Amino acid sequence: MKIVTIDPITRLEGHGKISIFLNDQGNVENAYLQIPELRGFERFAQGRRAEDMPQITSRICGVCPVAHHFASTKALDAAFNVDPPSAAKKLRELMYMGYYIYDHTLHFYYLGGPDFVVGPDAPPAKRNVIGVIEKAGVEIGKEVIKHRAYGQKITAILGGKATHPVCGLPGGVSKGLNKDEVKEIEKMVDSCIEFAKFSLKLFDDVVLQNKKYVDLILSDPYQLTTYNMGLVDKDNKVNFYDGQIRVTDQKGKEYVKFDVRDYYKHIAEHVEEWSYIKFPYLKAIGWKGFKDGKDSGIYRVGPLGRLNAAEGMATPLADKEYKRFYETLDGKSVDSTLAFHWARLIELLYATERAKELIKDPEITSQKIRNPVGEPGEGMGVTEAARGTLIHHYKLTKDGLIDKANLIVATTNNAGAINMSVRNAAKGVISNGNVSNATLNMVEMAFRAYDPCFACATHTLPGGMPLEVKIYDHNKNLYKTLKQNL
Amino acid sequence: MKTIIIGVGNPILGDDGVGIHVANQLKQKNIANFNIKIDEAATGGMNLLDLIKGYDKAVIIDAVKSNNGEHGMVERISIDNFTTMHSYNPHDVSLTEAIELSKKIGEKQIPKEIVVIGIIIKNSPCEFSEKLSDEISKAVPKAVEMVLNEIKNDGRTSS
Repeated sequence: MKIVTIDPITRLEGHGKISIFLNDQGNVENAYLQIPELRGFERFAQGRRAEDMPQITSRICGVCPVAHHFASTKALDAAFNVDPPSAAKKLRELMYMGYYIYDHTLHFYYLGGPDFVVGPDAPPAKRNVIGVIEKAGVEIGKEVIKHRAYGQKITAILGGKATHPVCGLPGGVSKGLNKDEVKEIEKMVDSCIEFAKFSLKLFDDVVLQNKKYVDLILSDPYQLTTYNMGLVDKDNKVNFYDGQIRVTDQKGKEYVKFDVRDYYKHIAEHVEEWSYIKFPYLKAIGWKGFKDGKDSGIYRVGPLGRLNAAEGMATPLADKEYKRFYETLDGKSVDSTLAFHWARLIELLYATERAKELIKDPEITSQKIRNPVGEPGEGMGVTEAARGTLIHHYKLTKDGLIDKANLIVATTNNAGAINMSVRNAAKGVISNGNVSNATLNMVEMAFRAYDPCFACATHTLPGGMPLEVKIYDHNKNLYKTLKQNL
Repeated sequence: MKTIIIGVGNPILGDDGVGIHVANQLKQKNIANFNIKIDEAATGGMNLLDLIKGYDKAVIIDAVKSNNGEHGMVERISIDNFTTMHSYNPHDVSLTEAIELSKKIGEKQIPKEIVVIGIIIKNSPCEFSEKLSDEISKAVPKAVEMVLNEIKNDGRTSS
């Protein structure tokens, strides 16, 4: 047996490693993605003041500080038995939309988009945001940079530093908005709506009008028929900040809907010897190995998971796109991993439209932004991080200190599915031991679609998503090495 | 000349946060003034570039993984020689790519000089802690000294 290892050479060794096992004919036998888990968070958190958790947990990840900040704040709302005033909820949600605007923009133009705009088999040196700008034009580059910065600015106005928000408190937020800030945000939001529409148009022109890409999206190696999970509002529309966790089956029918406080009744975690992280699955269905289909409890989260788990978007333009998405891709559920990219842009449009609704809401300048907290107890909080469902669970001492803390992060929720997607892509593109850099990128595309956070705790890696593929023969002797961005 | 000194790292991930520890030490040296700012960041790529835009010079203090040098060594590295920038995450570009991108669209506010004071780490921090290991703690005074040396002629006397 040969072993192919795709190893992003991170600054922190051993992180985000893919091993592909070939059989004697040189075809893929199996593939594993190893995502590291940073140790000791529970112990680190123990004994700290509960109110400090939104700040501490926003440090866990340099990628989604806002998601951790509010999952944590909401867990504290529950633990201190307090319901924030409605203005505070709207301010939090508005800030959350700013986070989605910059995060989804960044992923599409910098990370996912290059595969389509520049081409999946373009040389790695060109397959990046610079290549996108060379192809699409400098003016578009300026728009991308501008609107990503707008998302950051909206987040910063509401939350202090965009990369380290400080506004969330149990029972509300620490800072409201004045009229000047409202004007400033509204101007940026209006521009972001146009930018989101433009981005969908670009996707349409570049990807959907190109048969080669549509065939790629619909090709077998990129299909996975799992359950889907995401937060929904009372009308089962996608919601990023609040709501109930809804799970749908492979046909898009509701399988279960529950409040975060019952998460442990529905989600269990499987342990594999070779992986640092646990693999969550639907408890009632059970762990059946790395298999898809209705008998396997593996589910997907993130943009595609959320769209599949809902019945529409709560804003008009995004809802129109939602319908077009399913009409184009043959109805529910959409199983193509590469459709994550389209779903992400529909969500970008929703985030901008929802931001507009919130900034126009007369209550947004209310000064009633915090309610007094009750006695400390136990609480769970959930938000949709850009890359999927994020759960924080704290148990407090009677003095309001952390007794126990448990987090289930988005990439962990997706871990089982990412593994299968990588395996399927590898099976589809590697045969008779032929592995090239283009092959490597086709495998990489399978996990890039999920926008995974390799280590939801390290914000740092060296540049350019470097990958190393190591192929070993059945005696585990090194047979071939391929490198990219190294 | 306006200079920004910026410590980069995750302050709750052990040695990963060494840049922040160095920045904190520098804050106690009373060197900040109209022309010199000290900041910290747990971020990289475009976000880090946003923070250094508008300055003439940026001094970035960061943990660096390198095949050369010994664990705990401190090195001055010009951004031009930097291919394995710490300041990167899978959802962003590296700082060097961010700079290239911004230049491409005509950004004028990128510092003329960007210097990295890199603390070489060989072990991978993977346990939550606010403390540095003994070896990396020893590198902090050296890094502080190198930053002070770096800004010796930068704007401390002019205003």
